[in-house]
Amino acid sequence: MTLCSQVCLLLWKDLLLELRRRDSLLTMFFFGTLLLFVFHFSFDLAPDRIMDMTPAMLWLAFLFTGTLGLAQLFHAERENHCLDALLLSPLDRGAFFLAKTAFNLLLMILVELVVIPLFWILFNLTAWNLLPQFFLVTLLGTIGFCVLGTLMSAITLRARARELLLPLVLFPLMIPVILATIRCMEAVLRSGQFGDVAPWLRLLASFDVIFLTAGVLIFDWVIES
Amino acid sequence: MNQPHAPSIVDQLNFCGIAVHWLDWAQPLRVTVDKLAKAYGFLWALRDLDLDLAPGESVALLGPNGAGKTTLLRLLAGLSTPTRGSINFDGVTFSPSVPTLRARIGLLAPADHLYENLTVQENLHFFTRLYGRSPSPAAMAEVLEQVGLARRAGEFVANLSSGMKCRLSIAKWQLLEPELLLLDEPYGVLDGGGIDLLEKFLRGQCAKGSIVIMASHHVSRVLHLCSRAVILSQGRLTFNEMKQQPWPAFDRAFGEFLPQGGS
Repeated sequence: MTLCSQVCLLLWKDLLLELRRRDSLLTMFFFGTLLLFVFHFSFDLAPDRIMDMTPAMLWLAFLFTGTLGLAQLFHAERENHCLDALLLSPLDRGAFFLAKTAFNLLLMILVELVVIPLFWILFNLTAWNLLPQFFLVTLLGTIGFCVLGTLMSAITLRARARELLLPLVLFPLMIPVILATIRCMEAVLRSGQFGDVAPWLRLLASFDVIFLTAGVLIFDWVIES
Repeated sequence: MNQPHAPSIVDQLNFCGIAVHWLDWAQPLRVTVDKLAKAYGFLWALRDLDLDLAPGESVALLGPNGAGKTTLLRLLAGLSTPTRGSINFDGVTFSPSVPTLRARIGLLAPADHLYENLTVQENLHFFTRLYGRSPSPAAMAEVLEQVGLARRAGEFVANLSSGMKCRLSIAKWQLLEPELLLLDEPYGVLDGGGIDLLEKFLRGQCAKGSIVIMASHHVSRVLHLCSRAVILSQGRLTFNEMKQQPWPAFDRAFGEFLPQGGS
C-alpha cells in the first residue's frame, strides 16, 4: 500500500467519524464565531486602528479554536486502544502524521471559510477584493499550526493533563508562525501587497516545509515513545 | 524445553535486515526470544525470558495477575520496547519500525482495537485495507456469517456487546491471517458458541503453520487447546514444556502460583 493510499484511507476514516460525531467541527465553529463576537463587543476600535488590532484578534481566535480541535485529534484512537491497533498494523507512521495533519487542516479551513467573512462584516472591512490574499496568508499560517499542533498533540497523547499541556508546549513554539501571519495579514489589509513583508512570508513557508518534513521523519519515534 | 533449530539461510544472512525478511516471507514463522526483560521505572515486569517457538505451536501463557503476561504479549507485538534482550523472527531481530514484520503479527484483544463509530463492515474494510488486503465482498460476508454477525454488518460497533466485538475481532484476524497471533484473555467475554468459534479459528491458524500465544486464566480450557504451556511468575519464566499426558511437572509448577488448584 502506497503512502498516498494509506493517507487517503486514514483520512476517509477520520472524516467518516467526524461526520457521525460532529464533535470537533461544531465546537470549533461555535467557539471561533463566539470569540469574534466577544472581540467585536469588547474593543471599540477607531477606524484607523482596525488594521493594527484585528489581525492579532483573528489569529488569536484561530489559535484557540485550533487548539480545541487538536485536543480532539486523537480521540478516536484513544477509544478502545485503537492507537495500538494502528501501531500494530504495517501502516507507515509518516502516513499517519500526514493524515492527521490533513484532517486537522481541513477542519480549520472549514471554520476559517465561515469566520473570515464574518470578521470582514463585524469589523466593517470593505475591501472584499483582498479576501483571496488574506485567505492565502491564513492558509500558510494554518498549515504551520496544524503541522506543529499534530506533532505536539501526539507528544502529549499519553500525558494525564494533556489538555493543559498541549497549549503550554505548542504556543511558545508557534511564536514564529503567529508573528509572521499577523505581519502578513496587516500588510494585506493595508495595501493588499506582500512587498514589505516578503521575508515574513518566506519564514512562514519555510516553517511549514521544515516542520512538515520533520514531522514525517520523526513521527515514528514520537508516537511510539 | 526449548529445542535449538538448525541455522537457516535467514540466520546466515542476518545482516541483510529487511532483504532477508523478503527471502523468508514464504516460510512459516519461527519466534525466538532471547534474554528478554522489561522494566517500568524500578519495577521489572519481565526478567531474562528465553523462548523458542516453532511454526504451528500454540502456547498457553499462564501466571497470576502481574506475572508479566500482558507485558510479554505487548513486547511480542512491538507495542512496547524491551529494556534488555531481543525478539527474533526467523533469526532476524524484530524491530517494530519495519512494517513488513509488523504485518505478520496479530493481537486479539477481546473488545478492543475497533472503532466504535464505524460499522462492523467499515471496521473490517478499514483494517483489511490497512494491511494491504482487499477481500471481496463475498469473502467478507462469508466471514461475518461464520462469526454470526452477518445480520449486524451495518450496525455501529458501539451498539455491539463485548462478546460480539470479540467475534468481530476474530473475523478481522480471520481475514488478515497473521503468522504470530497473540491473544490476551479472550475467553472472558465469549459465550459457548463464541468459544467454539475462536478455538476452531485458532486450530485452523496452527494447522497453517501460524504460532498462537494465548494468555488466559481459564487454565483447563487453554491447556486443552494448546501444545505448550508457559508459566510466568513475578516476571520470570518458571515453566516451559510441551504438553504431556499425564503432566506432573505442570501440576507442580501450577500449584506453586495457585495452591488451591486451577479452574
